[in-house]
Order: sequence, then C-alpha cells, then structure tokens
Amino acid sequence: MGNTRPDSNVMLRMTDIRKSFSGNEVLKGIDIEVRKGELLAIIGPSGSGKSTLLRCVNMLETIDDGSISIEGEFLADKGVYATGDKARRILGCTGMVFQQFNLFPHMTVMENLLEAPMQVKGMKRKEIQPLAEELLAKVGLSDRADYYPSQLSGGQQQRVAIARALAMKPDIMLFDEPTSALDPELTGEVLKTMRELAEEHMTMVVVTHEMAFAREAASKVIFMADGNIVEQGKPEEFFEHPREERTKAFLRNML
Amino acid sequence: MENLLHTVVLMLEGTQVTLEIFFITLLLALPIGLLASLARLSRFRPLSLLMEFYIWLMRGTPLMLQLLFVYFALPMIGVMLPDIAAALLAFTLNYAAYFAEIFRAGIQSIPKGQYEAAKTLGMTYPTTMRRIILPQVIRIVLPPVSNETINLVKDTSLIYILAMNDLLRVARTIVQREFDMTPFVVAAVFYLAMTFILTWLFKKLEAHYGKYET
Repeated sequence: MGNTRPDSNVMLRMTDIRKSFSGNEVLKGIDIEVRKGELLAIIGPSGSGKSTLLRCVNMLETIDDGSISIEGEFLADKGVYATGDKARRILGCTGMVFQQFNLFPHMTVMENLLEAPMQVKGMKRKEIQPLAEELLAKVGLSDRADYYPSQLSGGQQQRVAIARALAMKPDIMLFDEPTSALDPELTGEVLKTMRELAEEHMTMVVVTHEMAFAREAASKVIFMADGNIVEQGKPEEFFEHPREERTKAFLRNML
Repeated sequence: MENLLHTVVLMLEGTQVTLEIFFITLLLALPIGLLASLARLSRFRPLSLLMEFYIWLMRGTPLMLQLLFVYFALPMIGVMLPDIAAALLAFTLNYAAYFAEIFRAGIQSIPKGQYEAAKTLGMTYPTTMRRIILPQVIRIVLPPVSNETINLVKDTSLIYILAMNDLLRVARTIVQREFDMTPFVVAAVFYLAMTFILTWLFKKLEAHYGKYET
C-alpha cells in the first residue's frame, strides 16, 4: 500500500506540533520530516523544546495540536491520538534510548535484551537469544551478558540500552541526549555505536549536544530555540555557513 | 524440673495459637496491602480517597480498640464471628494498612525512567508492574516489611483480651496460679526465638533480592 505513494520513504513526519506545559508553550508549531535511512540531529540550548519534541514521537509526552505520522500511519491526527492496538502497532516501530539509560537494574544484560521480545511479542527465549547475542556482539559487550547494569560503566550501560531497543527491531531509533550523562571519556564508545547504526542506514532522530557527531554523522541538522525551529540544513552548510544570528551565537558557544 | 517441662508444654500450645494468628495474618495482609497500595496510587480519585481513609482509620486508632470493636461491637449489629476469625479480621485489616503504606513508598521510589523504558518497549501497565516495578519494590520494602513482621509477632499478644490462650496469656495464667515468674522468662525466650528466625530469614531474602546491587 505504502509503496505506491510518492512519499513512501518518509519514516516520520510531524506537522505543526504544539505543546504547552501549564500555559507555557514549549513547542510552537514544529514541522519535521525524516526519510528512510536518514539521521536527523536536533540541537539547541536546554529548554528549547528539543527533548519534548522527541518524547512526543512515542507518546511519552502528548501533543496539544498537530499531526504525527510514522511510516505513513497517523499516530496523532490534528491533535487526536490513535488508541489501542493501532497506537501500539505504530509505537512498535520506534525504539528509544534515554539520557539516563533506564536499564532494568534487577535483570542481567541478557535479560534486559530478552525481556520485551518475550513479554511483548510473546517470543520464546531460544527464538530471540540469537538476535540478542548478535546485538551484544555488535555493541561490543558479548562478554558482559551475565553482568548486572550496576556492574557496568555508564558507556557500557548505554550501549546495552541501544541493544535492548534494537532487540524489538524498530524502524526508527530515537536518542534523547544519549551521551549527556556520561563522563567525557565514555561518550566516544556510545557515539561509535551510533555511527555504526547510521552506516547500516538505521533511521535515527538524535537530540544531542555533540556538535562533532552531528556534523559528521547527521544527514540533516535542526537547530531549535524557544520552541521554534530556527534553522535547518545539511550539516556542512549548517555548520560552515549558518544564516541566523541565533544559530551563529549558539555554535560559537558550543565549538 | 518436671514442673518446668509441664510449663513449657502448656506454653507450646499457646505458641501454636500465636503462630496461627501470625502466619495467617501475614499471608492475608501482604497481598491485601499490595492491592490497597495500588488502589491508593490509582488515578481514579474516589478509589484513592477511599484507601486513604481506610489507611488513616487503621493507623489512627489503636489495634487494641480495633480488636475490641470486631469482637464486641460487630455481634451487636448481628455479625457473629468465631474468636479466631474476629482476631484475624482485625489483625489483617490493621497490618494490610501498614503494608499498603510501605508498598506505596516503595513503588513511588522507582524512577520514572523505568516506566518510560518499559512503555517505549511496548509493555502494558500490568506487565510493567509485574516484571519491572514490583521485583525492584520487593528489594526496597524488605527492611520495613521485616520491621512490621517482627512487630506482628509481638502484637499477637494483644489477643489475650479476647480470652484466647496465646503464648502470653498461658504464661500469665501459670504465673498467677503458681506464683512463679519462670513462665514469663520462658515466654520471652519463645518470642526472642521467633524474632531471631524472622530476622535471619529476612536477611537471607534481602541478600537474594539485592544480588543485583554492587
């Protein structure tokens, strides 16, 4: 069905997204579009609404108005959300990585990966274990399968969190400041894992403060401030020739 | 010597009543307390308010008064309960309220990120509670639950006012009959033995459920 549509490559479209927290408008009509295999980096000062925007994609926050469609299906249409199985099916296309990792502390690394496929998809352990092992190898943590999260470094925990999200085979991966809670020397290993994902053409939306990463790995960069998109473009032109004063000031501070 | 043996045998019978009240109360009050805590946290306001009222009532009045009420006041409105059932009803309602507050605090201490992670992985609320939240809550509530459980061992002695022959009442009867304080010492030893076993058991449980902490 989707194949016949001209925009079948659009994985995520958000139009005119509006959101207020107790009268304070944090998203003032945002439009974004992410195509298959793209990595969209969203940058901006804290309080600009970028994390809120990301959290609206998978209903951790709800929008007041606007539309969200994922792979051509409306999760929210003019402010009204899909419900029940339809919502669950659409949300199942997304995976999320959090700033604070949010691993399940009472489960081993392997159990963290197996939990959702077994509980949500009803898969048997032996059906999902091979993929889980493959994902752990991919994030370089095969030898940590039986460790508890508290026994791992922050960087290792975040890589487990990425593998855990991937175990549900999402089509879009959302990253909410994935390296902000890490010591500087540990951000590299997480960014490396994310780069590898991007090279495999995973569709990704990444809210980040890592300018070097956005510059090298992103297909498109969006700069947000005060609930608006101030500027967007290809990383080369965005970082080399920012047009807006606001962007220039922000980049001067960050670089 | 023979006398002491006789005393101990009598008191073992009393201990049986004490243990019966203790185990059945615990078995009922723990699950009821868990359900009450979930109801207390419910977003459905009337339910949450009802639970708040119940907890306030149970924690705000003496357990002794609750026992007397169930035992003497309920029959006046036509509810007749066997002695042991009356005692169990009062104990269970009282302890479930305390457990409910312990569980509520435990549930609320789990970071919001755990719910969010479960949600983004597609888990429903019941699955999230059963698989993610409650296993972590158990670890957190074990020390306060252990406290309450040890209190319960000693609170069972309150049933002496209902004329049931528990450990303490048997001891007192013998003391009054024979003018010998030994039964009180024996009773103390019995209570200490029970709390010793409980303390040991909870220590084991804490180690088991805390194995993921470094």
